[in-house]
Amino acid sequence: MWAIASGIEGNLAAYEAVVADLRKSRQEVENFYLLGDTIGPKVESNQLIKRIQQPRKGEPTPLVCQGWWEEQILILHALGRTGSPTELIDRYGIDMTKTLWDAIDSTTLEWVRTLEFEFVELDCFLIHGSSLSVSDELTPSIDPIHAIDRLSRMDVNQLFCGRSGLAFEYRIESGSLNSQVQTLDNLTAPTPTILSNRRIIGVGSVGRVEGKASYTLYHPESNKLAFKTVRYGTKKGFG
Amino acid sequence: MKIAVMSCIHGNYEALNAVLSDIDRQQAEKIFCLGDLVGYGPQPNAVVEMIRSLDIPTVQGCWDEDIVEGLNACECSYPSILAEKRGKRAHEWTNDRIHPEVREYLAQLPLSLREENLCFVHGSPHNQHEYLMPEVNAFTALERVMATGADVLFCGHTHIPYVRTLDAGQLAVKVRQPEGSSTKQFTAPLKQIINAGSVGEPRHGRPNATYVIYDTDDRLTTLREVKYDYQLTCQAIIDNGLPAIFAWRLAQGLEYAERAEDPTHVCER
Repeated sequence: MWAIASGIEGNLAAYEAVVADLRKSRQEVENFYLLGDTIGPKVESNQLIKRIQQPRKGEPTPLVCQGWWEEQILILHALGRTGSPTELIDRYGIDMTKTLWDAIDSTTLEWVRTLEFEFVELDCFLIHGSSLSVSDELTPSIDPIHAIDRLSRMDVNQLFCGRSGLAFEYRIESGSLNSQVQTLDNLTAPTPTILSNRRIIGVGSVGRVEGKASYTLYHPESNKLAFKTVRYGTKKGFG
Repeated sequence: MKIAVMSCIHGNYEALNAVLSDIDRQQAEKIFCLGDLVGYGPQPNAVVEMIRSLDIPTVQGCWDEDIVEGLNACECSYPSILAEKRGKRAHEWTNDRIHPEVREYLAQLPLSLREENLCFVHGSPHNQHEYLMPEVNAFTALERVMATGADVLFCGHTHIPYVRTLDAGQLAVKVRQPEGSSTKQFTAPLKQIINAGSVGEPRHGRPNATYVIYDTDDRLTTLREVKYDYQLTCQAIIDNGLPAIFAWRLAQGLEYAERAEDPTHVCER
């Protein structure tokens, strides 16, 4: 079984809730993927990263890739794939550049630099955004032609992503399209292209919604998916 | 209305002149150009001056971009070290001779143009370097057209003209969320990709210049092949110290070298 999560955004309590839920399930987690936005614009991110790097006995070691927030901090430190934090400013305003800069310490920054962009395992592609970019937000209402494009770019049957924060399965059950090509010397007969059973899976968000962490379980042998939601609190209850 | 669409002139003035004369004979009312005005060929300034003087709406090609920005594509641009060496020599040669005003003109060219339900790009709507080969997956091809919002996508870059018609598209999608499931059916309207081939460096197996005529009223495309005295250009290539293999390639109408393993790969800069 794989556990796949995204969007912790520095929310340590939410991460602990997911890890506890996995422990309770008593199923062996073969791979534990964190599909980016592990950090967020808050100092708690540094503590979370220490926790992720030091799993306790019996806990799976997460495989972590870069997300949107990781890309933004790398851009701020001139380590990104683009030179200026345009997207960050457009989305959150200029003040966010300082907030994010101040929140993430140098140890966490070094850790972010080591992260993969994506994972490919079996017929699955796992990434924060999509095969187009880390910012590409795939949702349940995506146009099916664009969905097929995102799958085709990596030549996979299944794409797991976390950018939208939503839990969903978008399955292309069947599709066909006729194509005819005319060249200077030839006109081909119309040829159908058929496809079936490809899907995009939104894995939910661990930390974006306070008190409610969502993640996804996937069984590679059976291809079955389960969307999990864990409620948690940050107070001490009756204690 | 009849329009003419041409691409990839590559500094070949003789070929451009012949194509413009043919366009006159076809009585096209408007001409569009899909870029790559320069590179490989011996008359880059003359070609740009002609396009400018006729006020032909033109998009920027990958060679035009490289002359403006400098060569910074990743190594995927060339299928072999030999091809890379030749490409760099051609780039240096062009870069050394291009007039400042020509460079300025190339710099301000748009990446795409729209005219009603028609869209014009060099490679693909996503990248000037992407090759939309006729054999690319049909759904991928459809996405490239739909990404523009147009019904017909005109492109070049491959140097081989074709018309690809994408029709009768159907898709069944099931969406499952924690709160419930739904099923949707989609139909894709008829779309076309029309590749204009190459005026100045054809690769369809003959040395003739190629371009297309499109009739917007009946949506009919005519692939045009125009004979011209290509040997004049071949001689100019050699006289100007460009790699002689470019003259051979022009005379054969062939990409003499190896083909890239994945022509649909998009260069990441």
